Amino acid sequence: MTSDAAAAVHPKARVDWGALRRRFLSFLLDWMIWGYIAYGVMYFLNAYWWTVPLERFYTTLTLPSWGWPLAILGTLEMAVWSRNLGRSLGLRAFGYEVWGEDAAPTPGQRVRRALLWHLSVLPLGAGLWSSPERPWHDRLAGTELRLLPSPAPKRRKAFLSQWGIMALLLVVLTIWLGWLIIKIDLGVLIRRGDEGARIWLEMLRPDFRYFVRPDPVFELRNLSFSILDMAVVTLFMALLSTILGATFAFPLSFLGARNVMGFNSIGWLVYFVMRGLFNIFRSIDTMLWAVIFAVWVLWGSPLAGVLALTVHTIAALGKLYSEQVEGIDPGPVEAVAAAGGSRIEVIRYAVIPQVAPSFWAFTLYRWDINVRMSTVIALVGGGGIGDLLFYYKNQGDWPKVGAVVMVIVAIVWAMDYISGRLRERIA
Amino acid sequence: MGRYPDGLVRQPPRWLDRRAIADALVLRLRGAGQRLAIVFLDLLAIGILWVLVSYIISWHFHHVIAYSLVPWWAFGLGVVEAAALWESFGRSLGHRVARRELLTRGGTFPNFSQRLRHFLGWHLFVLPLVGLFFDPPLHERLSGLSPRSASMEGRTPVPWWRTSSGLFVAIFLCVGIAAAVSVTMDKESLTRLFTQAGRTVKFWKALFSPDTSILLPSIRDLLVTIFMAVIATSFAVVVAVPLSFLAARNLMRGPIGRPIYTVLRGAMSIMRSIEPIVWAIIFLVWVTARRAPFAGVLALWVHSIADLTKLYAERLESIDPGLVEAIASTGAGRLQVLRYAVVPQIINPYISFTLYRWDINIRMATVVGVVGGGGIGQRLYFYLKNLAWQQAGTVMILIVILVWAIDYLSARLRAKLA
Repeated sequence: MTSDAAAAVHPKARVDWGALRRRFLSFLLDWMIWGYIAYGVMYFLNAYWWTVPLERFYTTLTLPSWGWPLAILGTLEMAVWSRNLGRSLGLRAFGYEVWGEDAAPTPGQRVRRALLWHLSVLPLGAGLWSSPERPWHDRLAGTELRLLPSPAPKRRKAFLSQWGIMALLLVVLTIWLGWLIIKIDLGVLIRRGDEGARIWLEMLRPDFRYFVRPDPVFELRNLSFSILDMAVVTLFMALLSTILGATFAFPLSFLGARNVMGFNSIGWLVYFVMRGLFNIFRSIDTMLWAVIFAVWVLWGSPLAGVLALTVHTIAALGKLYSEQVEGIDPGPVEAVAAAGGSRIEVIRYAVIPQVAPSFWAFTLYRWDINVRMSTVIALVGGGGIGDLLFYYKNQGDWPKVGAVVMVIVAIVWAMDYISGRLRERIA
Repeated sequence: MGRYPDGLVRQPPRWLDRRAIADALVLRLRGAGQRLAIVFLDLLAIGILWVLVSYIISWHFHHVIAYSLVPWWAFGLGVVEAAALWESFGRSLGHRVARRELLTRGGTFPNFSQRLRHFLGWHLFVLPLVGLFFDPPLHERLSGLSPRSASMEGRTPVPWWRTSSGLFVAIFLCVGIAAAVSVTMDKESLTRLFTQAGRTVKFWKALFSPDTSILLPSIRDLLVTIFMAVIATSFAVVVAVPLSFLAARNLMRGPIGRPIYTVLRGAMSIMRSIEPIVWAIIFLVWVTARRAPFAGVLALWVHSIADLTKLYAERLESIDPGLVEAIASTGAGRLQVLRYAVVPQIINPYISFTLYRWDINIRMATVVGVVGGGGIGQRLYFYLKNLAWQQAGTVMILIVILVWAIDYLSARLRAKLA
């Protein structure tokens, strides 16, 4: 779009970078698909014929010294020929098709295009640079790579076309490969079926004796908490982390919003730093944060759980909030600014009234997630009702595990319902 | 009968008229239900506030947890009395939420004696629940007051801190936060939070000096994690798509369909409330820790089925019935209606939900590893537990890159589908 506009203004700047990038990505996709197939084939060879012990194959991807160049060049050739002899998955994904002069290319043209590709693209893309819209190999073969209109006209049944067969092959390959890598063994579910049945049956006869009264087994650990006490602690953890998280995320979200910060270079810098921090902190899961804080604060202390939940909440809510701020209607902002409002006044009178409902909705949504997470965060030392769950599980006391799981289900259900109702009311 | 004037024919007495009885019953039940809901909300709010206050007091002064500090009958009596007082002498939270207000028949504000009669009548008639089944209820007859919908016309709006409900909610929140702070932030942990920060310095440093020797085995585990998510998602789709048709309210009608719908939705809702980690624990005991990734896949699979079925079914419930009717009116069979009216409406949202779930599963697969569910999570947890910070940092970087890439990819694909 922008490059089209640029081409219209400056007729000489003819390099359409967007189109080049699309062509490159489309080719890369094909190459990666063939690489994946090669990996799968090697994996099957090793899995079924034991050429290399499986563990060693995994860890080092053992290939002889000539293997790597062979694999790279082989997959490259497969990608080139599959792109030219039919409509490959990479071409299909980006909506490309090889055309002759206003007709389907003849087999001769297809072969010539594939051969000439090596001369035109491999020497550092010489043919592409000189004439990006129609490179050398296309000119000499009398062909053209066309972008089809968005709802592409149907040529033939998908399962008869090259890309359809390839997609099916990839699905089969992936499931087969996954089956081997994960070592799926459905038989074990039946072979150990009596064990599984025992667990389920014991959990379905829950032991609620220590629902209100603290369980005496914890006196050894100097703890006196019942299931109810721990459930309350769990709710408190979720409450506190949501409130703290929202309180911190609210001001930070304005620093991470383009339309609030993008007025000068310092603003842009702050914007990028905030967005980067949100993204990094968000992609480390709450459970992993909990490990860090548990080592820092105290293993099994609710504070560790609260801190972990809070950090993740700040990052997640900060991102959601700032996206909301970026999506506001600029009209009121301009009106307040035109009336002489300062930056703070603009935020107070033009931005906040627009984003308040969705902020509440996101906060409630996050509260919901935090309740779910706080029930299991104890596993990594975060405290809460999960502490009982994992303790009883390690004791093999499945009736008590069943009781705790039922309490967890009740809590999550109730909170889900309440937050859903409140969100409906806000919206 | 038509030959005689109406007045000459003996009509059956009104109390024998079935329809009149049914109408009166419905009216009374509805009125009783509304009033009971208001009372219930007030009792609940006051009761929880009491519990929170006792919680703080007992935790601070006695270092135990006590939810009422007084005998159970005193707790009950106090809560009931407080609710009765609040409902009679002010505008209680329940009235406020239901957008009602206690007014006289003429719509004016009640005076003190009316309020007092409401308060006394409340004890006589509401507590035994008998009075509620009259229309109007007996305590409202006694006092001449009834909860009417409050209109703000011709009244100056009162700021929230001048209303009893607003103050109550504010106090409730403050006490709740105080209780949460007091129970989660014990002195020992807080002290360590400020003195032991040095323990994590090694970890932050490690994020910038990764240990490259574990890179290859880590990438192998990363592959296992990705495959766990892919396998769990694809097998969940196979189960969830047919289930979603059975769990859609608009498709499941009639005496057979509705029970199936209810049972299925309930089961999915329960399965969804249990975190994949808990599922993984159960499956780990079942399939043994030797097949850790398999247990992880099973856990993700179960949770994904529940989640996807719900998402798919909700989408099915919101399809445009016009198209279905249009195709059906051309004489198409059930399968053809499905093929030409339903599937085109749901195919893109279904793919989009599946991608979304795959994205979640990648993240969940790293977490499931923590309980021994295999993949990169297990490796990370191993390093963290053994305080091998440099290796843990390396793995953490890999996880962040993976999650970022998948997040980006799935968002791009979903944007294209929308």
